[in-house]
Amino acid sequence: MKRILFVFIVMLLLLSSPLFSAGEKEAQWPDPEKTITVVVPYSAGGGTDLIFRPLVEQMKKFTEANIVVSNISGAGSSQGTNEVLSRPADGYTLLASGTHTVSATLQGLTEGYKQLEGIASLNWDPFIIAVLKTKPWKTMKDLIEDAKANPGKISLGNAGMGGATGVASVGINLAFGEVFNITPFKGGKNLRAAVLGGHADVGIFSQSEILANRDKLQPLVILYSEHSRLPELASVPTLKEAGFKNLDVPGGSFRAISVKKGTPEAIKKKLAEIVRKAYNTDEYQNFMKSKGLIPTYYELDKLDEYFKKIEQAYIPIMKKAGLLKE
Amino acid sequence: MNDALVGFLQIFNVQTILWIAMGEVLGIILGALPGLTATMGIALMLPISFQLSDATGMALLLGVYCGAVSGASIPAILLGIPGNPNAIATVYDGQRMTKRGLAGQALGGAVIASFIGGIGSLLLLMLFSPLIAQFTLMFGPAEKASLALVGLTIIASVSSRNLAKGILTGAFGLTISLIGTDPFTNSPRIPFPGIFEKTPLISGIHLIPALIGLFGISQALLDVERIKSGNIAPPQVKIEKIFPSLKKIASMWRIIVESTGIGALIGAIPGTGASIAVFLSYERAKKITSRPGSKLERVGSGALEGVFAPEVANNAVTGGALIPALSLGIPGDAATSVLLGALLIKGVVPGYQLFSQNMPLVYSIFFALLISNIFMLTFQLLGVRMFPKVLGIPAPVLVPSIIILSLIGSYAIQGQAILAAVFDMGVALFLGIIGYFLKKGDYPIAPIVLGLILGGMFEENFRRAVKLARGNYLVFFTRPIAVAFIILAILSVLMTYLRNRKSLVQG
Repeated sequence: MKRILFVFIVMLLLLSSPLFSAGEKEAQWPDPEKTITVVVPYSAGGGTDLIFRPLVEQMKKFTEANIVVSNISGAGSSQGTNEVLSRPADGYTLLASGTHTVSATLQGLTEGYKQLEGIASLNWDPFIIAVLKTKPWKTMKDLIEDAKANPGKISLGNAGMGGATGVASVGINLAFGEVFNITPFKGGKNLRAAVLGGHADVGIFSQSEILANRDKLQPLVILYSEHSRLPELASVPTLKEAGFKNLDVPGGSFRAISVKKGTPEAIKKKLAEIVRKAYNTDEYQNFMKSKGLIPTYYELDKLDEYFKKIEQAYIPIMKKAGLLKE
Repeated sequence: MNDALVGFLQIFNVQTILWIAMGEVLGIILGALPGLTATMGIALMLPISFQLSDATGMALLLGVYCGAVSGASIPAILLGIPGNPNAIATVYDGQRMTKRGLAGQALGGAVIASFIGGIGSLLLLMLFSPLIAQFTLMFGPAEKASLALVGLTIIASVSSRNLAKGILTGAFGLTISLIGTDPFTNSPRIPFPGIFEKTPLISGIHLIPALIGLFGISQALLDVERIKSGNIAPPQVKIEKIFPSLKKIASMWRIIVESTGIGALIGAIPGTGASIAVFLSYERAKKITSRPGSKLERVGSGALEGVFAPEVANNAVTGGALIPALSLGIPGDAATSVLLGALLIKGVVPGYQLFSQNMPLVYSIFFALLISNIFMLTFQLLGVRMFPKVLGIPAPVLVPSIIILSLIGSYAIQGQAILAAVFDMGVALFLGIIGYFLKKGDYPIAPIVLGLILGGMFEENFRRAVKLARGNYLVFFTRPIAVAFIILAILSVLMTYLRNRKSLVQG
């Protein structure tokens, strides 16, 4: 009798355990008891982190589940990406993806976007090429002429070879016949310190970095097809206006939200809806405006196609930089 | 003056002051737990700060920052485990003081020192910010590489008993600093890349699990052995006079001035950090106190001077790291980069714009830092009589608790990335076992830490300097600051050598 009772209790426990209720998961998503984690593959307070934290604050308004940002940095952006890939595809772990994911994948540091699917994209943060005001170059033309006259003499710094500024710097160098001395720095802060201190001649920066040092830095050109939306930087010419018509250099950071491949379609749709609502709040739109971020919204399959385009633009540059792993 | 008044009012209200107090307590607790750092505490409080006003939010985060930096000295002094890298150099004399029964005095001294360092660097921040920021910009890759070289020469003095052994463990530290990826090309630099490329080893050996293993776990293993042999007597705790007399503090004026300077300056140079500052100031204090005719106790023998120097320096880093953060928008260390992030999210652009358009916020940051330091002093002083009670816990209970806390700490660093977090526990255990054997063989541990901290900094900046000079290796001799550092490094090695020879001849 005792044994039968025991077996009965065990079966009851088993049936009530989550193992047997997997089918209901999709219908209930998101479970208000659970936490949705947005993995930012860079440290807290960094450029990428800043784009996502305000979004997460808004996302909280549109779901019952708790949402947190979790910073998992290391090895380019691949450690955070790999962490997302190691977790179940249940929609509770999101990746702050973007151009960094593309370059980390092409470098073979992670399976990256091959194992990810897009939920929604957010924006482009276009790069600006700048020099110290005390340097002799006042326009991009000046700089390029000088660089061509003295190949290899002028150093062009980036914030790390594998990141978006690294790709942009190699792209620029390729476009102008490899006349620059490309030097990687450890993160944007060390690059900016080096350019401000005159140790590196030219640097590639995000808009907010230029704003912080507007008194000392001379912006030469914005690596985007349009002008900056920030009044302070609106007069910075595009490459085209600076006299370089047929150049196309991928110069900026693109940010999106992705999940692991295999996440159920229904969950992905719900996630996209939450992100869309958060993205469209006045708070987030104003935030983007104040930072000069260029709204670029794609959802689900459209986003995956857009990522393919970025990949195609990156491949030749990564190859040239010796970073492509085939 | 009006700006200062607005800034003052933004901080001196009940709500803000309570937030600072909360941040401070949280910071001290986080700092005291092995593995948990100021950066982590600030990141934790980030979402809360979004809900507060600019000034109050910053004040909360600054409270956590100051608290965590000073809290780290508690386990360093009592147990010989630095709570986080800020307290690495506090371990030596702090632990020796505890063994002499002077735990209370060491803790009290550390608190006073932290306060002096914090206030000193706040003054530097308020008065000389633009000047110091400009000066730190002179530190390019060549200068930083030479600074790392100076740091490496400290290996010689922290292993003065046996230089060869020190160089050996230093080389081990340098070697493990190479593991990971190449800083220029991102290509893997580990044994059997095919196997390890996809493991957390690709991001290298992190400092904090290494510290926990080398200091905490190795010591705990030695204690386990002592428990088994029945040869364990808890150190006596004599708490008579906790605070150093004003006369004593005044007699250490040189150590205080130099450590504040070193801390604030190193803190202000991006890409360096408190762990370098504390070693440099400890080294300087050692030099000052071992001069013939010096009335101070010799650093290294369990002297208050040896606790004072690094504790002044690590709290001086807080003000120092804010100098480039506020005036250039370039964070001086990891913790300030999260602080900067908090400002940026709120739409405040640090740097030029902050000083030209938002002076009240700048002033409120100064006031918040002042209050944080006062709270740090108050709370720590309340705790100083309490903390040494930890030592009264019987060893068979205390030692396993230390091991468990150490492992939790090393897990927590990357607690969100499960795989990496477990890997870090492995690193702590592995280096703990290595540390155990090294200690048994009387090999010094500190050189490993120095090698690990400075190896990456030296390599990266050396290569960068040469790249910027288009392959010219002589670039280091063309820059005055770099040349000065190189001379300093050579002198430091020579002095140690000569001193060792002299003592050999005499002894």
